[in-house]
Amino acid sequence: MGVLTDISVIWPELFLAIWIMVMLMIGVFRGDGFGAPIAWFAVIGFVMTGFFVLTGPIDLAFNGQYISDKFAVFSKMLILLGAGLTVMLSFGYNKREGTGAFEMPILLMFAVLGMLIMVSANNFITLYLGLELQSLSLYIVAAFRRDNLRSSEAGLKYFVLGALSSGLLLYGISLVYGYSGSVDFGVLETVIADNLSGAAAPPLGLVVGLVFVLSGLAFKISAVPFHMWTPDVYEGAPTPVTSFFAVAPKIAAIALIARVLIGPFGDLVAQWQQIVTVLAIASMALGAFAAIGQRNIKRLMAYSSISHMGYALVGLAAGSQKGIQAVLVYMAIYLFMNVGTFACILAMRRQGRMVEDIDDLAGLSKTNLGMASALAIFMFSMAGIPPLAGFFGKLFVFLAAVESGLVVLAVIGLLASVVAAFYYLRVIKLMFFDEPVESFDRPAGSEITSIMTLSAIVTLFFLVGLGPVYSSAGAAARSLFGL
Amino acid sequence: MTVAALFFYLFAALLIGAGFMVISARNPVHAVLFLILAFFNAAGLFVLVGAEFLAMILVIVYVGAVAVLFLFVVMMLDVDFAEMREGFLQYLPIGSMIGIILFIELVMVLGTWVIAPDAAQIVAAPIPDASVTNTEALGRLIYTEYVYFFQAAGVILLVAMIGAIVLTLHHKPGVKRQNIAEQVARRPETAIEIRDVKPGQGV
Amino acid sequence: MFYLLAIFLPLIGAAMTGAFGNRLGNRPAQMMTVIPMLLSAALGCLILAQVGFAHREIETVAINWFSSGALEVSWAFRFDTLTAVMVFVVTMVSAMVHVYSIGYMAHDPHVPRFMAYLSLFTFFMLMLVSADNFVQMFLGWEGVGLSSYLLIGFWYKRETANAAAIKAFVVNRVGDFGFLLGILGVFLVFGSLDFDQVFAGSPDIAGTNFNFLGFETDILTTICILLFIGAMGKSAQIGLHTWLPDAMEGPTPVSALIHAATMVTAGVFMVARLSPMFEYAPIALAVVTVVGATTAFFAATIGLTQTDIKRVIAYSTCSQLGYMFFAIGVGAYPAAIFHLMTHAFFKALLFLGAGSVIHGMSDEQDMRKMGGLWSKMRVTAVLMWVGSLALAGMPFFAGYYSKDIILESAFAAHTGLGTYAFWVGIAAAAMTAFYSWRLIFMTFNGPTRADAHTYDHAHESPPVMIAPLIVLALGAIFSGWLGFEYFVGHEMEHFWNGSILMLGEPDIIEAAHHVPEWVPLLPALVGVAGIALAFLFYKMMPTLPARVAGGFGFVYRFVFNKWFFDELYEKIFIRPAFRLGHGLWKGGDGQVIDGVGPDGVAAGVKNLAAGAVRLQTGYLYHYAFAMLIGVVGLVGWYLITVFGGGAG
Repeated sequence: MGVLTDISVIWPELFLAIWIMVMLMIGVFRGDGFGAPIAWFAVIGFVMTGFFVLTGPIDLAFNGQYISDKFAVFSKMLILLGAGLTVMLSFGYNKREGTGAFEMPILLMFAVLGMLIMVSANNFITLYLGLELQSLSLYIVAAFRRDNLRSSEAGLKYFVLGALSSGLLLYGISLVYGYSGSVDFGVLETVIADNLSGAAAPPLGLVVGLVFVLSGLAFKISAVPFHMWTPDVYEGAPTPVTSFFAVAPKIAAIALIARVLIGPFGDLVAQWQQIVTVLAIASMALGAFAAIGQRNIKRLMAYSSISHMGYALVGLAAGSQKGIQAVLVYMAIYLFMNVGTFACILAMRRQGRMVEDIDDLAGLSKTNLGMASALAIFMFSMAGIPPLAGFFGKLFVFLAAVESGLVVLAVIGLLASVVAAFYYLRVIKLMFFDEPVESFDRPAGSEITSIMTLSAIVTLFFLVGLGPVYSSAGAAARSLFGL
Repeated sequence: MTVAALFFYLFAALLIGAGFMVISARNPVHAVLFLILAFFNAAGLFVLVGAEFLAMILVIVYVGAVAVLFLFVVMMLDVDFAEMREGFLQYLPIGSMIGIILFIELVMVLGTWVIAPDAAQIVAAPIPDASVTNTEALGRLIYTEYVYFFQAAGVILLVAMIGAIVLTLHHKPGVKRQNIAEQVARRPETAIEIRDVKPGQGV
Repeated sequence: MFYLLAIFLPLIGAAMTGAFGNRLGNRPAQMMTVIPMLLSAALGCLILAQVGFAHREIETVAINWFSSGALEVSWAFRFDTLTAVMVFVVTMVSAMVHVYSIGYMAHDPHVPRFMAYLSLFTFFMLMLVSADNFVQMFLGWEGVGLSSYLLIGFWYKRETANAAAIKAFVVNRVGDFGFLLGILGVFLVFGSLDFDQVFAGSPDIAGTNFNFLGFETDILTTICILLFIGAMGKSAQIGLHTWLPDAMEGPTPVSALIHAATMVTAGVFMVARLSPMFEYAPIALAVVTVVGATTAFFAATIGLTQTDIKRVIAYSTCSQLGYMFFAIGVGAYPAAIFHLMTHAFFKALLFLGAGSVIHGMSDEQDMRKMGGLWSKMRVTAVLMWVGSLALAGMPFFAGYYSKDIILESAFAAHTGLGTYAFWVGIAAAAMTAFYSWRLIFMTFNGPTRADAHTYDHAHESPPVMIAPLIVLALGAIFSGWLGFEYFVGHEMEHFWNGSILMLGEPDIIEAAHHVPEWVPLLPALVGVAGIALAFLFYKMMPTLPARVAGGFGFVYRFVFNKWFFDELYEKIFIRPAFRLGHGLWKGGDGQVIDGVGPDGVAAGVKNLAAGAVRLQTGYLYHYAFAMLIGVVGLVGWYLITVFGGGAG
């Protein structure tokens, strides 16, 4: 296996890294005013990377430190799509709010690079490096408005808690290494399969290591009880950054968890299934209940994404191929619903200033019917009302759970989604049945409007495209199970 | 071996003691100094297992750079630590309870420690024989087999650098800065303007 | 295929009028319902001719309706003589009422709605009579109940109309519940709801018992009594009759169509249709006899004292339905159906005539404020005469033939109950004659008691209202004479063609033709006596009624207050039900269900939400601590479940 083969396999990441360096140079030499073009170039970079991901070979590289399989390809495409759309959402905002420094898109690109490395990780060290690259970039962009107290606070909180979670993760990895003598996923899988298949109780150290690893990763998808940073960071970070947070890193982290659990620890499914179930129940329940008390729409979205991660974990808890497939479909749907909702939030401007209270949406249907309808579609979809996209996401996830015998989990999920429906519907009620307050600034910006429309259409007519998405998610899930 | 064992226990005990003092010292400057002590002891442990390169790096990087930087920061920031400790007692019961539970759990983990039978064989990079130095062994690995990790780590450091600059560097307009290149490139023609001032007319 | 057309034409009319009537206006709405109805009536005649006289019998299975486990139900129509007679009566009377409504409802602002309801009712009624299985019959059954509710409450702005509509619906529900239980019983026992299979199975089931709370009970009898309870509700038999007089709150054409001629006879029809079951349940038939005879007598007594013109006719309907039931009870189904038909004609005639009077008198219904209308509306008066003569059973009018054969059958039954029914029937016949002529005299004769203004404006009804009356009057005069031979005479066997099963040997109708001489004469005689008495009371000596009422004060009050049924129900059922309902509402629903359910859950959710929000303190070390607790908890969970469980 020559270096050239390795390079051809990791070419998408390598390309993106080189692209970032070039942009960084341009930015440094052209100065601060060059932020907007670089943001465009970032989107172009994502598109090109996506192309390379799609056309690239399916192989291992660097002695199995890196893996490119269909699962990775599917996840990477979702990540790039989410990242591209959210970066586009930020154009108008950056221009107005003075966050248009060229470092912003550079850092977002670094974060995406980290995510790509994460989902292609086939080794705990790759995993950790990708995770840190992503996290470090995100810490910085969360605090990007350094003159804003909330933004700085958000960045600091995120950083400290992220460091703690990294500590947990590393400790877990060290325990696993201590048992097996390897950090390579493939080797781990064989070691565990050789020594533990059929054993009544696997060694405590290994399982505790697994718990620590899972805890560290659960932080990244803000699963309860590792979610505490989410509302504060969502609220404090600049809104386009929040929308970025809500989509791409979540997809990357859930894909990473799926790979770790199904790959090296596939034979310990009985052990991790319990943890994932607990995390899923806690996330769904807390996400549903806590969101009810929120006044700020960004905080609301934070809890919403916590509960959505709970649903995704339900599919993961199933531990089956169907479950993984359901998770991937769920994340695809989640992407569009969130991007669309954040496009709406970014359009919430009044006399040039961003407003973030839910009450500011009152009577929106009378002042801006298009936006109100789009937001209503997203809310209905998140609440899981058929025939919108969100319904199918939940449906597949719950079906997978039931097939794996986790009926109680599915029932709890259903109940939680009933509670969650309350606050989604409240937003709709506010928009359509309350007296209008002052209308928002118009136009909202062409990128925002078009992304809003695109997401609304996808969410509304998801059923049409369900077949291809479902089957490619199925292929991705199969590749994860080595079939 | 007994001497080595003796030193191991010495370093280990000092390390734990120093670590405990880091979090319990009242004066933050003392805490940082204890941290430095802890680093030294850790370096000692590395030397004991024959990883002299790591030991040296630890001393140079952590003691020489990181800890000293900490010291500067702690001394420069006038943090009222007394105030920060006010909540300490309030959380002591539940905190210590969680701590004790965690401790018991970890003891159980270590008490029942098992190593996979073939763990020794599957170690990716076995320790080379004594003819190869530590530094060389690491270097061979990092720049060949682990080049991917090495590069990724490099990118992370780059991000950290960019972050530090973005979050701290202020470009205030109107502040005069020294521009060496400009200064060097100055010529009399560009710097001086000769005006012929006629008497009684002013400039 | 035109058989089905006869049934579905009214539906088409109703649907079109319901959908477009308001936009098109009154005239098109009337046309859209009246024309299909007239067509349907013509088809009804044709059906009767083909099925009844030419013996074509048709069963149409349209499509499978639903199947659930062993239960399979089809849309199926059965056209035998019984159905043909009913279709004929229903379409005929309905068509006349439709036409009549054009004139009667001319000034109403909601004509399209009214016409649509009328047609809808007709459709459901036809559905009921042409059904070939219990489910379809039940559909029609409930459908007519619904239409009846809608039509009674047609003037929904009147509080009394709403109350009456609700009362009719609720009382009918009681009966329907019995009917439904009966249907369930049928399915349980026979495993099918198709008439053919049930009828075929009845002889085998007869006499088998089942254990109910320790009592050995006859299955078929139980089922038949349950079904009969349904019939009682629909046909306003004693106990469940209270809704019928109140239903007079609806517009008069409605009273004529639904509460005289058709819907209320559904019970009679149903029992006749199920004759193959009832014949094997003699105890159930005995119950039918007693209930029918008692109703006939009891309703007649109330009719004596009522002053509202429509209520008098309503109680008379009640009473006549009693006749039909006891005819069934003694096994004379053809006689019952015969009376059903003749009654439909003369009772519709009377109602529509009364409507004509009310129309002419500016919506006055109290007979005490009428009188002397003879000079104002002669045609109506003559037609009312015809109707009353028929009702009183005067010879050669329709009622004479049908009522006589019923009473003869009762006599010929030679059982204790039959004799009871006979004598009670005779008494009721006398009373019937009395109150119907009381009505005539009070309305048309003597000096007027109306105020001058109303009296001056009293006028004859327009031709569009009179024409249907004449058609019905012809029916009231000739239908008995024409139908006698076919329904109950020598052509009987041929005519019914097996659509009704009669087990009695010798045939009860046959026996009825061979009763002593005085039996057929007696009803006519008491009828004449009744008329004479009415003449005496209200024509010769107008002060007499008050004196009689005073003399028999208690009896009068008892009868005038309708045997205190309403008061009794109020005390026994309504008040406690209200109290129970109120209690359940406030205590059960409000406090327990809402309190624990929606409100409680909502409050709980709110508290949880507040708690969840409180968790988010904003302090970094709280967050970090929460994470640590999470890790410790998860690891602890392991140690306890996996290893603790394994070790312990």
